[in-house]
This record gives sequence, structure tokens and C-alpha cells, in this order.
Amino acid sequence: MERHAQHAFDAEEVMAYLDGELEPRRASALAAHLVSCGECQEVAQGFRALSERMLNFEVEHPSAGMNETVLAALDSGKSSSESNAKDAVAHKGWNWRRVFARPRNWAIACAITAVTILAIAIPHTFRERSLPINGRSFTNLVTLERETPADKADHNGLFHGLHNGSEAAFSIDGQAANGELHAPETVGPMIVQTASLNVLATNYDEASAAIEKLAAAHGGYVEKLDAKAQTGNARELSAALRIPSKQLDGFLADVRKLGHVEEENRSNEEVGDQYVDLQARLKSARATEQRLIELLGTRTGKLQDVLEAERELARIRGAIESMQGQSTILVHRVNYATVQVELSEEYRQVLGTGSVSTGTKIRNALVEGFTNLEEGAVGLVVFLFSYGPSLLFWMAIVLVPGWFAWKRFRVRAQG
Amino acid sequence: MNSDDQLMLEFQQGAREAFVELFERYREPIYGFFRRRLDHPARAEELAQECFLALLQNVQRYEPRASFRNYLYGIAIHLVAAERRKAGREVVENEKLDSRAVEGNAAENSDAGIWVRKALGHLDNSEREILMLREYEQLSYGEIAAVLRMPVDTVRSRLFRARAALKDQLMPVK
Repeated sequence: MERHAQHAFDAEEVMAYLDGELEPRRASALAAHLVSCGECQEVAQGFRALSERMLNFEVEHPSAGMNETVLAALDSGKSSSESNAKDAVAHKGWNWRRVFARPRNWAIACAITAVTILAIAIPHTFRERSLPINGRSFTNLVTLERETPADKADHNGLFHGLHNGSEAAFSIDGQAANGELHAPETVGPMIVQTASLNVLATNYDEASAAIEKLAAAHGGYVEKLDAKAQTGNARELSAALRIPSKQLDGFLADVRKLGHVEEENRSNEEVGDQYVDLQARLKSARATEQRLIELLGTRTGKLQDVLEAERELARIRGAIESMQGQSTILVHRVNYATVQVELSEEYRQVLGTGSVSTGTKIRNALVEGFTNLEEGAVGLVVFLFSYGPSLLFWMAIVLVPGWFAWKRFRVRAQG
Repeated sequence: MNSDDQLMLEFQQGAREAFVELFERYREPIYGFFRRRLDHPARAEELAQECFLALLQNVQRYEPRASFRNYLYGIAIHLVAAERRKAGREVVENEKLDSRAVEGNAAENSDAGIWVRKALGHLDNSEREILMLREYEQLSYGEIAAVLRMPVDTVRSRLFRARAALKDQLMPVK
């Protein structure tokens, strides 16, 4: 099939033309060319002859048995060569390029991934929310999970009787044990306790050292500690402590033993309503977050709408985190009472001569007198400069008309 | 007359007659496909059966993305490839083709047919497959490209080379 180098159509194009695979415009041109070009006619004839010759490779007809087997399988819905047939299509089907090209496969993969993530994330989230309430710590809850199924149901996010005797039960995130969301209706008392003590220590050194030890012994900790030891004054210690609510009475009794209690105050604040309100808002915000996520996942719209939805989602998530933080703090305040202890020692005045000489005192007084004089003069100048202009202005406004009014009054009186 | 794709979709909906019609249309072409590529008529018939059984079993997975012919010959190509792998024929393909021309079904083939088989045996595997799909299965360049997963231009150039080579084998320059 060697062709003249300058020929308008190459042999491959002639072949494609004969196969009906040449583009229409080129095919028309080639058809016209073939009429007049003997060389191309020869090439075309060569291809035709080859095809005809290939048809000599004949095969016999299939046997009737093939028909029976296939039609029997059609009727029975089964096949005798099931595995091979399945393999053929399965092998054909597992073309990774085709698998990745199908949106349906992506959707399935995304759904599986989402379900897996949720399956992993939900238990973790739940545990994170199971914060300590009223002395029941996270560790306790984990331990309780090993208890009986009934106990598990009890502790699975539910907190029964925040205080002894209370029958109220609610979920920390407003989610019932059966997975249905509903707002807690009744809540046991949630009390934030605070106490303050002013103690005159019998032995200040021992008492100040004992404060931290007592706090630790009762399961609490020191939040803030200030100690003062000024010359000529009694030493003082001010400590802000956080003590587990259940241990508060015992702790206060121990502190009282440190000396003479000059003042003691206790107060209780009910925060149950705050907590319920917080949980309700948290639940609402989570529902909104979920709706936004679903909206972003399932709906398509303008880019601006999508961005707006994402901004709203970010805002809601920020609010959720903030409310979770508030909830945690509130629960912590319930669990740990705040105790303010003011510890002071009995002051004993010490008799002794002053360390400063009389001459130094006189000199210091003289220096102080001059300093006061200078500061007074400077203060007067500063005052005049600061307020002088405005004083003159107001005098002009008020006194000048007054002066004329006075003169006129005098003239009338004399006349 | 219904198109192949239409018949396949009807069969997907449960129309038995649609499959029977398809089977009638492709029974001989599919058998011929396997027969020209394998030594033994019985094995060719088995694979042709398997090809249709695969069609039956996977009817619900069929999607009319490409033509039905593409789908069917795609299955056939994979069955042949699996058969060759199983028999370890890839390496000695050419020799087998030579020998089977004589030993196989010489009775059914004329001398010219035997020469064609022998000449085909000397072609490169890929070129031979493209040429056979074009000449015997009458697939278009696009369909061949889809079945063998290669660009259409590659199909055209290899087909041209295959024909040139075969012509050299069968019709030496005078």
C-alpha cells in the first residue's frame, strides 16, 4: 500500500472511507477523487479484496444444544455455568475508571463515610457531654457503663435526682435515653453554694498552712490565695477555695477549728431554671445546626445562598460551643461550692523606738513644706490657665449686661 | 423492528420474547466470535452460552450507556481473555493458530479460509483483535475503541497496519 508522497489522500483515509468512518466532508472529497484517481481506486480495490478474502474464514453453525441451554436458563432463571458468567460481567464491571466516573458510586461512598463518621463521633460526643454533675464525675459515668443494663439506661446521659430525694430526671443535653429529643420539663434543684468565713487564727502559721491541706483533703482546690504581712499590722491571708458541694459542711467545720470565727456567711442560689433554659436553647441550636447541614448537603442554589448558609452554620456552631461552655461552668459551680476564707492573726503591738532621727524628720518636713508650696503655686497657675479664659468669658456675658442694668436702675432711682 | 438496546430494556422489564429475539440475532455472531478465536468448537459453544448466560444474570445491571453490541462484545472479549489466561495460550498464540488451522475444523474451511487463519496468526495480538472485530463482528471504530478501551485514532492506525500486514501475507506484491 505504498503511495505517492504528494497524493491528496493517504491509504489509511481510503480505508476509513471504505469502512464508513471518514468524516463527511473529507469522505465527499475522497469519493469525488476516487472517480478520477486510478491509484486510489487500486488501493480501494485492494482493501475490498482483502475483506472479501477474509470472509473465506468461515465457521460452522452452532449446535441446537446451545439454544436449548440458553433458553432453558432463561426459563429457569438459573444457569449451569453461573460462576464463569458472573465472572465475565464482574470482571467487565470492575473498571475502576468507570466506577469513579459514576456519581451514584460517589454518593454511596459518601453515605457510607458519613455513617461511619457518625457511628464513631456520636458516642464520643455523648461522653464529652456527660460532664460531672453534683459530684458524679466523668470517670464515674464510664465506670457505671459496666453495670447492669438497667443501670446503663439510668446513666446513659440521664441524671436522676441531682439532690437527694429528688425524683426529677433529665438529660444533660435534653436527649432522652431512647434517642428522642424532648425538652426536660421537671428538674431537681441545682444549688450553687457560696460561703465566707472570717477567722481570727489562734496560731496563724499553722492555720495558714492548714488551709490548703484541708481543701485538698476534702477534694477541693485553692482558686486564689493572697497573704499580707505588713510591718505594724497583723498578718492576713485571703483564700478563695472550691470545695465539692457534698464536702462543704465538713470543710467549714474544719476551718472553724482554726481559730475564732468572727464572721460567717452562707448563701445558696438555685440555678436549675438557668440550666434548663440553657439546655433548651442548646437543643434548639443543635436542631438548627442539623437542619443547616442537611440543607447544605441536599439543596443546591446560588453561591451566595450557600455562603450565607455556611455563615449561619458557623454562627450557630459558635453559639453551641458557647452554650456548652456555659453549661459546663454552671454544672461545675453546682458541684463545687465557693468558699472565701479570710484568716488573720491576733495583732500584738511591739514597743520600740523609731529608727528615724529628729534632724532627719525636720529636714524631711522642710523638704515636704517646699514641695507643697511649689505644688500649690504650680496648681494655681495651672488653674488660671485652665479656667481663666472661660471665667472671663462668662463674666463678660453675665456682668456687663448686669452692670448696665444696675446703672439704669440707679438712674431711675435718682430721677 | 426494535433496536438491540430497546429489546434489552424490554427484557429488563421482564419481556422474555425480547431476549429470545436478541438471542436469535446474536447467536451465530457470538458463536462465530468465539469459534474464530478458539481451537475447539465445543469450547467455543460453551463460551457463547456463558456469554448469553452472563447477559441473563446481569440484566438488571444493564444500563444503556453505550450500544448493546458494545456491552455484549465486551463480555465476549473478557470471556476469551479469561479462557486464554486459563489455558496459558497467550505466549503460544501464534503457533496455536497455525496448528488449529489444520487440526481443528479443516473440513469446514476452504483452502482460502485456512490461509486466512494462518495469516491472521502472524499478526500482532492487538492488531489481529481489532481487525477481526472490524471484519467479522462488523464493529465500528468507535465500538472497537470502547470494547478494547483505547482511543479511536489508535484503532484506525492499528487496523490499517493489520490490513497492510495481512495483505502482505495473503496477497504478496506481484
